[in-house]
Amino acid sequence: MTNAAQQHVPPAAPSFGDRSRWAFQDTATMLWRDMIRTARQPEMLVFAVVMGVFFLVLFNYVFGGAIGAGAGVDYLQFLVPGVFVITALQGAQQTSMGFAADLAEGVTDRFRSLPMSQVAVIAGRTIADAARNLIGLILVALLALVMGYRFDSAFGAVAAIVLTTVIGFSFSWLGAAIAAKVRQPDMVGMLSMFWLFPLMLASTAFTPAESMPGWLQPFATYQPISVAADAVRGLSEGSPDRTDLTLALFWTIGLLAVFVPLSVRLYRNVD
Amino acid sequence: MSIQDTVIRAAGLTKSFGDVLAADGVTFSVGRGEVLGLLGPNGAGKTTVVKMLTTLIPIDDGTATVAGFDVTSEPESVRRVIGLAGQAAAVDEKLTARENLELFSRLHKLPRQRRRSRIDELLGRFDMASFADRPASTYSGGQRRRLDIVAALVADPLALFLDEPTTGLDPRSRAEVWDSIRALAATGTAILLTTQYLDEADQLADQILVIDRGQTVAGGTPDRLKADVGRDVLEVHVSTDADLARARELVAALPGASVDLNRRQLDVPISSGAAQSLDLLRRLQDTGVTIDDFQLRRPTLDDVFLALTGSSTTPVEEIQQ
Ligand SMILES: Nc1ncnc2c1ncn2[C@@H]1O[C@H](COP(=O)(O)OP(=O)(O)OP(=O)(O)O)[C@@H](O)[C@H]1O
Ligand SMILES: [Mg+2]
Repeated sequence: MTNAAQQHVPPAAPSFGDRSRWAFQDTATMLWRDMIRTARQPEMLVFAVVMGVFFLVLFNYVFGGAIGAGAGVDYLQFLVPGVFVITALQGAQQTSMGFAADLAEGVTDRFRSLPMSQVAVIAGRTIADAARNLIGLILVALLALVMGYRFDSAFGAVAAIVLTTVIGFSFSWLGAAIAAKVRQPDMVGMLSMFWLFPLMLASTAFTPAESMPGWLQPFATYQPISVAADAVRGLSEGSPDRTDLTLALFWTIGLLAVFVPLSVRLYRNVD
Repeated sequence: MSIQDTVIRAAGLTKSFGDVLAADGVTFSVGRGEVLGLLGPNGAGKTTVVKMLTTLIPIDDGTATVAGFDVTSEPESVRRVIGLAGQAAAVDEKLTARENLELFSRLHKLPRQRRRSRIDELLGRFDMASFADRPASTYSGGQRRRLDIVAALVADPLALFLDEPTTGLDPRSRAEVWDSIRALAATGTAILLTTQYLDEADQLADQILVIDRGQTVAGGTPDRLKADVGRDVLEVHVSTDADLARARELVAALPGASVDLNRRQLDVPISSGAAQSLDLLRRLQDTGVTIDDFQLRRPTLDDVFLALTGSSTTPVEEIQQ
């Protein structure tokens, strides 16, 4: 029989340096865990693109003619950046549902008793979801190209997809905070209907703000999804708009500043 | 036990959830290599105490230290020296046992070389090889429970918290877990074990703390608790309700006697062994009571528990009121 516990000397309290190192190390570990899980449920990757493909096809072929004619634009060119943003939001919704499922599974109870970075539990998931999002966005972009969409340049395409991924990442933290607060996975799914769909439909993702009723236009212009769609559209088309980009960055940083600490707090505060 | 040997120390631990006082001034200490059994019925506050000591919920009042670290002000240091197997299994269902242990040992910052050997050692020692490479979602309750306990051991904790570790296990798995707990205590690990099974506390614990509705009801060694209740008990089963009524009249005068109406059972504490038992049985027969079955037994922790926290068994005095 070993005398491991007898020889065991309690380590000194973790320093600030230790903690910062833990944050990276533990996030990497959580990503490793996520990779194994994803490999065991590859269908999760399908969810990453299904919404984007659905909106792309539906809006282009079903409503495309009417909306495009009314706005006097080539609708596919208008639509694709919007669909990118919607795809990223779908990713945020996945974060929400996935994290709620995690919390329900009980393994997170163990995480809370381990000497690990607590933000890593959520960061592992939001980063993994961002990676899935990136793959989903590339697939949606390929489909768009097949349908006849044209980026202004390869750089524009990369910039648009990267910006969309970053915006999606910040929304993922909002999704995680909702999950940490609400807990029940099915309830979280329902809730995302309430914040996601109104924001999505009353946005410039699918239709220009000018085509909306006057009272809705200010909201539809400055709300995060519209700002994101406009900024991504600018990058795709090679005519990035300073104001759109600044606003998109402002929303991204704002969402992160609020929801990173809030989601960790909500996650820790359970009995 | 000297001060340095104390690993887990709880002083006046108090916690309420709204109106419910889940723990009220719970005080104890657990030394190196010692097993403390926290014994109580459903809702006694066992899990609440474990959660406070393992930094999962804040303490309302009182203090707790583990290996000298304060649970409230130094939670990260505490987490480095504890292992927890909570009441509900806390493992990743999609991962195999090996992957789960790899995950938790990485999070414990075990060096890479040590992780491999440690995991192999644990899988071997706890006889998990046959299912170590299947996802945990396919495990039986006992296998999952075993993984959960082993997961608490990856980093060689100084203090181990086991919340009802054998609930839902078959007798064989239960005996295996008992053996493991004894072996861990022998290596110097301080163990806090909660249980509703009295024989479990009796078997494993050096010290027992009985709690009920957040309150400490009694504490001490298993032997001392049994000595407090003391005497042997004569257990008599009778045939009919009429028999029971007659028997009840007869034993009413005897101190500590109790009657279980549903089971038609009398429990009579016996102070002078065989002679007194025979005498009582004879007198029952003389009164015309048909005795189905009887036994003289040592007091179990059940009796301690009954005596301390009250129970479904109704004392004779109460029936007569
Ligand atoms: N999060 C909570 N919110 C409200 N009440 C709670 C909460 N957690 C525990 N309680 C209450 O505190 C009391 C003690 O609960 P606890 O889980 O500690 O009991 P226990 O001894 O572990 O019981 P069991 O043997 O059933 O596991 C119970 O009355 C319970 O309902
Ligand atoms: Mg409990």
